[in-house]
Amino acid sequence: MTLTKYDITLSRLTEDKIELVRHWRNDPKISRYMEFRELITVEMQKAWFQRINNPQNYYFILIFEGKEIGLANIRDIDAEHQSGEGGLFIYADEYLNSEVPFRAVLALNDFCFETLQLQEMIAHIMKDNPRALEFNVALGYVAENAEDSSPKPKYRLTKEIYFKHRERIARFLGLPKS
Amino acid sequence: MELETFIQNFADQFMDPDADVFTADTDFHKLSGWSSLTALLEMAMIEEQYGITLTGNDIRNTPTLRALFDIIQSRK
Repeated sequence: MTLTKYDITLSRLTEDKIELVRHWRNDPKISRYMEFRELITVEMQKAWFQRINNPQNYYFILIFEGKEIGLANIRDIDAEHQSGEGGLFIYADEYLNSEVPFRAVLALNDFCFETLQLQEMIAHIMKDNPRALEFNVALGYVAENAEDSSPKPKYRLTKEIYFKHRERIARFLGLPKS
Repeated sequence: MELETFIQNFADQFMDPDADVFTADTDFHKLSGWSSLTALLEMAMIEEQYGITLTGNDIRNTPTLRALFDIIQSRK
């Protein structure tokens, strides 16, 4: 399964790519922003893939300009509440602090809200990652509890708010209206 | 359009412009406040202030503020 939108391709994670993802995920430049920071072994990665390779979880390799540059996901989809938890990391340094993460997240969120028909997305954002925080706030994510003192507070993004923010971001990127 | 004004406009898009030093030869990709959001805001600022639409590729492949200014000038 592949989706191409905003000039970026999301290719659903297959077993032959899990070692690539493990390599990315074990790199300290990525793991430092994750809750689980221990070394992930081959066996752990295989077991993880068995847990997430189902309709409740979609993990995608991000492909831009022909290169595999990172991973995006919607996980723990709750059909009853029409919600799920989004996530994204860019491994390729040249695209890290660029407009490319916005292309990726717009493609992911469109899939979540338009194809999966979710009403809400959730994100847990580490307080020591201000770039991720400002990125998600720009998308319309709002803290569930402004006084949450945990290291990884919960943020919510509704479909309605996302579409308003998408319009503005797409214009900045010079993208046609969806 | 003056380079100095452009540099000030560029710095104004940063959350904390005082945390970085902005000169014509600054490699803006290495500034502490540089992020995906800043990149997006700069593209918007350039479109709104100068009427030029830059691509993500322009931003990614241009090393300094002077070089970015030159691209804008050349497309006016």
